[in-house]
Amino acid sequence: MILSRCRGLAVALLACVLVCAVASVPSFAATGCDLNNPDRDVPRIFPGSTRYVAKYRSPTPTELAAIVAQLDERFRAIYDPLSVPYTIYEIYRGDEKMGYIHGVNQKGQFGGLQVFVALDLAGTVRSFYIQKMVGRSVAKFRDGQFGKAFIGISLKDFQKYDPVAGKGSGPLAAIANPAPDMETDFYGVLRALKKNLVLMDVFVFSAARKQQ
Amino acid sequence: MEGRASATIGLNSEHQLTTEAEIVLEARDLARTYRRGNEEIHAVNGVSLTVRRGEFISCTGPSGSGKTTLLNLLGCLDNPNAGELHLAGRSIFGQGNTLGERRLTRIRRELFGYVFQSFNLIPTLTVRENVLLPLAFYRKPGLEGEADKLLTQLGLGHRLHHLPGQISGGEMQRVAIARALINRPQILLADEPTGNLDTKRTDEIGEVLRDLNRNTGLTLIMVTHNPRIAGLAGRIVEMRDGRIYEG
Amino acid sequence: MTRFRIAYRNLQRKKTRTLLTLGGIALSAWVLVSLLGFNRGYENALNRDVDNLGYQLMVMAKGCPYEAATMMLQGGTGFRYINETWLDSLRADPEIAGVTPILMQAYFDPNAGENGGIVGYFGVEAASFPAMKPFLRFHQGGWFGNGNAAEAVMGFEAAELEQRKVGDRILVPEKNVELTVVGILERTGTQDDGIIFVPLRKLQEIAGTNKITTVGIKVKHDGDTAALERRLYQLPDVQVVSFSQVKQTIMKLIATARVMVLAIATIALLIAMAGVANTILMSVLERLPEIGVLKTMGAMPGDIFALVWMETLILCTGGGIAGIGLSFALARATAAWVRRILPYAPRGGLVEIDLGMAGATLAVIVGVGLISGLLPAWKAARVRPLDSIRSIN
Repeated sequence: MILSRCRGLAVALLACVLVCAVASVPSFAATGCDLNNPDRDVPRIFPGSTRYVAKYRSPTPTELAAIVAQLDERFRAIYDPLSVPYTIYEIYRGDEKMGYIHGVNQKGQFGGLQVFVALDLAGTVRSFYIQKMVGRSVAKFRDGQFGKAFIGISLKDFQKYDPVAGKGSGPLAAIANPAPDMETDFYGVLRALKKNLVLMDVFVFSAARKQQ
Repeated sequence: MEGRASATIGLNSEHQLTTEAEIVLEARDLARTYRRGNEEIHAVNGVSLTVRRGEFISCTGPSGSGKTTLLNLLGCLDNPNAGELHLAGRSIFGQGNTLGERRLTRIRRELFGYVFQSFNLIPTLTVRENVLLPLAFYRKPGLEGEADKLLTQLGLGHRLHHLPGQISGGEMQRVAIARALINRPQILLADEPTGNLDTKRTDEIGEVLRDLNRNTGLTLIMVTHNPRIAGLAGRIVEMRDGRIYEG
Repeated sequence: MTRFRIAYRNLQRKKTRTLLTLGGIALSAWVLVSLLGFNRGYENALNRDVDNLGYQLMVMAKGCPYEAATMMLQGGTGFRYINETWLDSLRADPEIAGVTPILMQAYFDPNAGENGGIVGYFGVEAASFPAMKPFLRFHQGGWFGNGNAAEAVMGFEAAELEQRKVGDRILVPEKNVELTVVGILERTGTQDDGIIFVPLRKLQEIAGTNKITTVGIKVKHDGDTAALERRLYQLPDVQVVSFSQVKQTIMKLIATARVMVLAIATIALLIAMAGVANTILMSVLERLPEIGVLKTMGAMPGDIFALVWMETLILCTGGGIAGIGLSFALARATAAWVRRILPYAPRGGLVEIDLGMAGATLAVIVGVGLISGLLPAWKAARVRPLDSIRSIN
């Protein structure tokens, strides 16, 4: 009798704590990064694809912890808390899955960046697309040359390169800033890419690795 | 236990009555008639009466004889249908003039004090406040402190702050007498003042009135059924069928 | 011995009756004050809600898009301009509480998405625009420092899209002008969420014009919006956009509510005063012999009238004060109850009572009470002592 009363009280207290915890979380709306026109953009970003499936994914507490562990605190923007739902486009040729397209928001010097990557089934970058950027020299980032530098990049490349400090080695360190007047945005693109790859690793590729 | 009235009442010394005492009230051929259906009732029918200062007059008679009606006329509580009334040398009723209520009130408060059978004390006012009540409407000068003196002299010094519900009938009537005297009237009119009292209290009130008259020279006209009380007066007039008979 | 004391003591004779009468007056006073407080509180709360709707009228040159969505759809074109000198004539209109000039501009950003996008800007005066939209709250920061500052206040979604916070900079596309974000608004659910507000003079400088596109107009609370609209329609080459239907409906609600409230309050008061008249009259009839005796003591008819009227005054004043005290004490509970039963209740306090209202109510209760006490007082004054003495005997 006493035990059941204690249990009941504990449940009630836990419920109160949870309610308070939930109530204290800022109630930002989801600011996932979607393609403006996926029907038009998917075939362009992922050549050879015939269809796509958009899926929405929110991180579990475990996944959130894993994401935070891999990303620096400074990655968090006020409008893009990590716990929002993310849009993952699964890319198919017929019934065969070819890979994924995923985009993230990132803060730039004069506005937000929206950075999309097309990934193969191993998590390697197949193509790179900046959907949105603000600045006087944006065209230099959005021409095909800059994006080509990221083909073949994967998450493990960030083990040797810190986009926050802008220092390291490997293929990422070799990528040149095409617009010196937009240095903040250049490193913002690199940070966005890392965030993108970390999220995809947590949502998709680590689970795939476990299944293997 | 109620106290007895003091043997000496008032501030004035004893007043000797003489035939030369001034006339304070004179009524000539007063008449008052009422209609009851088709019938005319002559309640007062040609009454003449002269009252001198310091007299104590009892008016007796059977019920319906017109005693109270006469008292009401003499006390300016009513207008006569005929006759004259002079008070302290002033003509009040006569030559056909009828006085309005306001005028009658002014006359009454100048000259008269009234004591009734039912004491008519205000139940929510104390003894002292009841006596002071007339001063709320009319006050002659120089009467400060008169209430306590009067009450003490009437044997009610220990009842000043009691409510009427807390004192006896005799004490209530003494309060009514004190109230009637607070404005130093020239004439005290008492209509059956002992009508609601038992024998003992009746005698007490009778003595109070007699002592008032003797010790202060207060002119007193009393209507009563009680022959013993009537006998306390210096002069008795009898009313029968609206007429006055003086023995 | 004063008349007040006599009257006060008279009321103590029949304590139950006096208390019941006092209770009736107190209840009517409580109802009256609470209803008047509700009337005022409801009207003020509704006015606040109406205020929060922003300006009720917009005046612009014919053909100009007045909605941000329309502006975007038209690719940021189609602006027609009007001179700021218009404002002076509008300000002088007796129905108008305030005006604010607005310059709408839109610029194409080729890097916003694959095919580019339009970014909308509103040039506004910090002095007059916030007053027109008092519901705008800041998530961060505040309005511009001065009219020429290279600053911007962003709607929530505009800031969210650009990942901006206070202190960050934005770049006006086409013009390549940098502005510093000084404020980010909270989400409103209106088109303001997607707008970037810039000081009017600055946007005029950026746009290379000294004109405006729109005038926002706030109508006075008791203003005749319909008449104003009719006047504005007469102006040449002007289109008038009215959001006043909502306000009109709400103001009609207020007027209806006010009439109902006053009717109920009046009925409550009259019922209470009938009770007062009845109580005093009964008291007089019970005391007729005593009143007669008072007259034998020298009380003039006017004295008796004043005595009885004094009793009415004591009852009404005492009951009124008690009822007013009750309304103060129960104001919150009354407001909560009203909020539960009304189908629509605006935000904020619904019952507003102050000392001025309480004083005015007390004056009304006492005044009406004294009127209701006239008959018993007059009856008492007319008592003939002889008649009452006869009734004694």
